[in-house]
Amino acid sequence: MSRSHHADKATGIGDPQCFKGEAGPPKFKVGDKVRIKDLPDIFYTRCQVYTRGTVATVAKVVYESPAPEDEAWDNTDQVEWFYSLVFRQKDLWPEYPDAYANDTVETELSERWLEPV
Amino acid sequence: MAEKHKPAPMVDEVSEFEILELAVRELAIEKGLFSADDHRRWAEYMETIGPAPAARLVAKAWVDPEFKKLAVADGIKASLEVGIDWINDMPSHFGTPSDYCNLRVLEDTPKLKHVVVCTLCSCYPRPILGQSPEWYRTPNYRRRIVRWPRQVLAEFGLQLPEDVEVRVEDSNQKSRFIVLPLRPEGTEGWSEEQLAEIVTRDCLIGVALPRADRKVDDKRPVHPAVKPVKHH
Repeated sequence: MSRSHHADKATGIGDPQCFKGEAGPPKFKVGDKVRIKDLPDIFYTRCQVYTRGTVATVAKVVYESPAPEDEAWDNTDQVEWFYSLVFRQKDLWPEYPDAYANDTVETELSERWLEPV
Repeated sequence: MAEKHKPAPMVDEVSEFEILELAVRELAIEKGLFSADDHRRWAEYMETIGPAPAARLVAKAWVDPEFKKLAVADGIKASLEVGIDWINDMPSHFGTPSDYCNLRVLEDTPKLKHVVVCTLCSCYPRPILGQSPEWYRTPNYRRRIVRWPRQVLAEFGLQLPEDVEVRVEDSNQKSRFIVLPLRPEGTEGWSEEQLAEIVTRDCLIGVALPRADRKVDDKRPVHPAVKPVKHH
């Protein structure tokens, strides 16, 4: 594989657009409840520790891309669906005030991090 | 004699990251991965970007409901109408690891207020919003806004009622975000150009709300010191 394979693939198309159609059908849909897995991450991750083990709702199926845990090492073999997930603040931080029980956090994770609830 | 001629003041601190960047850049140029001119063109591009196109996008969405729908559905396409091509404007023509080509426009409602952060680093929609402010990159903002959003927003002077949902958007992957705030009262009948003038960078990050009486280029008040130091 050439050193410029990413540029060759993405030039004029954009990233993540250049991975469109490579992930197959998405496993989850908008409205699904998922739990964030606590996978090992000794080298690199973009899955925040504060999300691990918490239940979230899929707000949007966003795009296809290799996961950053692979892409950091230039491994683009496995393209995955990414989901925008909404967490209730109360689920993330138990001491979050009840008065603001509606408050939320939204963030994106790839399919490998999610398990159905 | 010598002590009377102190050297002129110089930049006294170069961070380790700056030294590292310089070293890696010079090695990359020597190896032919890119040229010094490529680097210069990047630096030049980075100096041309700013928050004006994002302000125009918001103003246009306020006056044109069809454009608002497009902005929320496809931020990259909507950006083209305010002169920003996320894919081809950048000298690379595909984005960079910090400027992926997936803009999401977060629409506030009377019951929902968005605020953007990147807790893991400092991801920011630079092609349409320019360089991030210093505070956006600090660990202080990044770790506190996600956990105590209302307290941090209050420090920015933004206090929100209990029945408004505060949604912190933690930008951690390939999407970049700007906030489409509610159009403020007192702007009825304003033109798109007038509206764009009140959409400040902080409104686009979500830590402030646009106001009819506050423009992007307003002179900031200078408060005199309460107990000024007397020089003798």
